[in-house]
Amino acid sequence: MKLFLSVIFSVFFLSQLNAQKIYATRNGKVSFEAPSDEDVKAVNNEVTSRMADNGQVTFSLLIKGFRFKLAEMQEHFNDQYLESTKFPRADFKGNIVNLNEVNFSKDGTYKISVKGDLTMHGVTKNVTVTGTLEIKEGKPSANAKFTILMKDYNVSAGSVTDKVMAELSCQYQ
Amino acid sequence: MKNWIKVVLIIIVVCILTGGVVAYRIYTKPHRDVSQEKGVSLTAQKLCDAFRANEGEANKLYLDKAIEMTGEVAEVTTNQDGNTVVNCKTNDPLFVINCTFKTNPGQLKAGQIITFKGICTGYIPDANVVINEGVLVK
Repeated sequence: MKLFLSVIFSVFFLSQLNAQKIYATRNGKVSFEAPSDEDVKAVNNEVTSRMADNGQVTFSLLIKGFRFKLAEMQEHFNDQYLESTKFPRADFKGNIVNLNEVNFSKDGTYKISVKGDLTMHGVTKNVTVTGTLEIKEGKPSANAKFTILMKDYNVSAGSVTDKVMAELSCQYQ
Repeated sequence: MKNWIKVVLIIIVVCILTGGVVAYRIYTKPHRDVSQEKGVSLTAQKLCDAFRANEGEANKLYLDKAIEMTGEVAEVTTNQDGNTVVNCKTNDPLFVINCTFKTNPGQLKAGQIITFKGICTGYIPDANVVINEGVLVK
């Protein structure tokens, strides 16, 4: 009986362990533009992201992967503002704050709030971003819009802009 | 007209013209065309090993460089802007070289060995090395 119970228990326990699901993409999209100058606009289509149904979320992207319409601007962005040879990557690691309002196994659109650490240009800041999580046929996609202030990350692009509006879109597998 | 006025006018016109030319150059400066560059030749596995062994050193060697890489296609997908993305295999099933093509490489299948040129934008630990602006060589 004891053995039987422990078998039942371990099966139950293992199935709980297996229950955690991780969704991933290597080609999410992040774009940004400066509100003051329509030429300051760039897109990165190689955002690696993972999202687990326990609420953990990570995003990583490479600064050199941002493509601008103007080649000259892309050069300035990399060499002078973001110093992408010294700081090639931007990383975010955080959690869905309102996980209890999200059901990964039920199709629908959920408003989510994600809180975590964003590191870029050698500076780490704790940020909270709100967005939507859509579950369709069991697969999530995340969308969010947020503002990044240049001074928060010691980026001296003052002559061009003091902030950018960023947009994120990830479709997970 | 007095001579000094002429001189000032000429200087102003020259300044405006120079400014115009500089602005025009900035606006029309072409993007990098990797197909015109000689790339560093290597295999997907070598690129993967280099970054995993020492990211800093690998960045010095490959970051922002034209790469001519040969590898086995693991998966072909399309990104949100309609560009073809090819993941090339490494010896770790969870780690790939992620290559976004600038020009359509045509029909590619998993298992096929391809060689292409692109620009290495860096390394994302436990996930992939990224190459973009890809152009198929063969």
